[in-house]
Amino acid sequence: MNPFTPRVAAVIRREFVLRVKSKWFLLSTLGLPVLIVGLGVLSAFLAVRGATDAGEERRLIGIADPAGLIGDLLIEEFLADSLDAVRAADMEALSVDEARTRLSDTSYDLLLMIPRSEGRRSAEMPGAMPDADEGEGGDGRTTLLARASVPSVIESSVRGALQRASVRARLRSIGVQSIDPGALLQRTSFDVINVTESGEARSQDIYRALSFGIAFFFYFILLIYGQMIVRAILEEKQSDIVEIMVSSLRPWELMLGKIVGVGAVGIAQMAVWALVFALAAVYGLTAGASTLAEAGIDIASIPVPWGTLVLMFFFLVFGYLLYAGMFAGAGATISNEHDAQQVMLPITMLIILPFIATQGVIQSPNAGWGVILSLVPFFSPLVMPARLFATSVPVWQWLVSLVLLGVFVLGAAWVAGRIFRVGILMKGQRANLPQVLRWIRHG
Amino acid sequence: MIGAVNTPAIRLRGVTKRFDRKTAVRDLDLEIPRGSIYGLIGPNGAGKTTTLRIILDIIGPDAGSVDVFGSPNVEAMRRRIGYLPEERGMYQKMTAADHLAFFGQLKGLKRKEALARARSGLDAVGLGDRADDKVETFSKGMAQKAQFLGVILHEPDLLVLDEPFSGLDPLNVELFKQLLQERQRAGATILLSTHLIEDAERLCERVCMIAGATKVLDGRVRDIKAAAGRRDIALSFEGNPTFLDAPDLIEDISAHGTYVEVRMLEGADPQALLRRAVDSGALISRFELIEPSLRQIFIEKATEAGLSHEDESEDDEAAA
Repeated sequence: MNPFTPRVAAVIRREFVLRVKSKWFLLSTLGLPVLIVGLGVLSAFLAVRGATDAGEERRLIGIADPAGLIGDLLIEEFLADSLDAVRAADMEALSVDEARTRLSDTSYDLLLMIPRSEGRRSAEMPGAMPDADEGEGGDGRTTLLARASVPSVIESSVRGALQRASVRARLRSIGVQSIDPGALLQRTSFDVINVTESGEARSQDIYRALSFGIAFFFYFILLIYGQMIVRAILEEKQSDIVEIMVSSLRPWELMLGKIVGVGAVGIAQMAVWALVFALAAVYGLTAGASTLAEAGIDIASIPVPWGTLVLMFFFLVFGYLLYAGMFAGAGATISNEHDAQQVMLPITMLIILPFIATQGVIQSPNAGWGVILSLVPFFSPLVMPARLFATSVPVWQWLVSLVLLGVFVLGAAWVAGRIFRVGILMKGQRANLPQVLRWIRHG
Repeated sequence: MIGAVNTPAIRLRGVTKRFDRKTAVRDLDLEIPRGSIYGLIGPNGAGKTTTLRIILDIIGPDAGSVDVFGSPNVEAMRRRIGYLPEERGMYQKMTAADHLAFFGQLKGLKRKEALARARSGLDAVGLGDRADDKVETFSKGMAQKAQFLGVILHEPDLLVLDEPFSGLDPLNVELFKQLLQERQRAGATILLSTHLIEDAERLCERVCMIAGATKVLDGRVRDIKAAAGRRDIALSFEGNPTFLDAPDLIEDISAHGTYVEVRMLEGADPQALLRRAVDSGALISRFELIEPSLRQIFIEKATEAGLSHEDESEDDEAAA
């Protein structure tokens, strides 16, 4: 029997059209891309701003190195970084505390104080790095005094210069003169490549980030749209229309229409987002292709996992149906907003818990408990999509997970339908648990 | 689909419904002929709404059977039924035309057709220029019209109305009655419940009285009144009132000087009383058999059935 009778279609249409035409839909659908693009633009702007600030505002760095061990080397290094630095002979006799009180009388914007023993200690014990960032002012430590807050670019320049200078000092002390410390200090890096059963390569980091993103997105969608279901059912009661409705269609048809209608709004919203992001991605990747290529990232080598995406969509839809059924049943037991918060809480917890668990699962996606959680309904709609992205999941696992979830969806729909049938006609006081259990038993 | 013409529009047999320990409807038999305007009367809490909901298959009976147009499958008849419950809200955020079209679609109309009917219906009740306004901007009286239109848009063969006139302004009461009679002329059967017995008396050909979950009486209003008999007499006279001392004929007298209201004993002949009055030499200016009101009959029957408590509450309701 086809459950989507014309009258169910009418309910779906009404839910969909009214919601899509609402201000809420316009704001939230356009809001998310605007928010993401806005944040991107803002952080890019701030980064650029910070860099130009650092470049434009020349800062004078004074170097107090009473032992005279690395001061000259530091100046060379700073100059190489196009920063102005001079020896601050007038400050060399002062302690950190004294220097601090006198800094404003000097022309230095920053004062780097090397302790008397520092050069020697570093030279003798190559493991001991001078600390530039811990300005506790102990005389045995390297200290950077600054008049204004130090931009992070400057701070890292100082750290780099200090490191290179002290390495050169150490090398010099053991008689090595002509080695470029830059070459010595070159960072090593390596890629982690996850090899799937079929031998495809996937870069771990990108997928970890993506799987967290997916779990968060699903969590967000389930929460928002679940609450929307409760509101939609509350609307029936609060507008006194429900008795007219149930004289025209079966309560379960009304419930089905509401759930599918609200779900269709979600799909429309995601379609808009997908379109916006696809356009942005195409545009952004085309524009930024050369930059990415310089950074050694070849876009074409990142495979789009279509199969995974389709599978994830199924988990989202099943997950939505499971929670929507429960929210619908809960919505039928209440008549006002105040009670809505209370009945939604336990179901909301059932979404939050899997989300928290997902964050652990992403770290070790093949651990035993992660595998089990990805099979357990309620957990699986969030955990399995995250695992699908983070690792390669054997076919039997996602198949079992999906089937179990499907069984629970039907179960939840059956229970919710029983509650709905009686509850939807109730008004006033919220139904208590024994009452609800009786409805489920007797219908 | 349509059963034989002589099958009743609605037939209930032995319908009983209990909620927890309270019996809302007890062993109710009901037969509502096609094309009639039928009133279900009784005080609040008598079980009227429950009866209507059972007929509409919104709730199932604990015992007994329900046929609509000769079919026990009420579900299949929904397109032919229009129901106006006592609680008759609308979705506030929809426009009137859209809302009515939605109701029409629920009853199986195609959207286009439903929308066209919604607009012409709104036109007919003087709301044509408000068709595209949201329901939330409507006054109470306008919303009442729109609600009623929603029930008759699909031209149902059976109209079920729960307390249709409660809360209506007087103009809308007239409009509703007019629209109801129009539907009846088109062949529809109309079942309405009301605690205002006078409304039922004016509008309905047939009534069923229930009190305390039990049927007290049903049938044609005319027949019910005839069966109750004309036992009340209004009498004005001048002269000696000794002829009124007639325990073989009279059950009760309320005297107001020369005007007297007399209740005859059951089966007693009013003509006998008239003869005695004439013989006594009294000068009679008025001797009239008064038809009992449905209300009086109802109170009597309910009292007989030992349901006097509900009758009092019903009186309060009617007076309010």
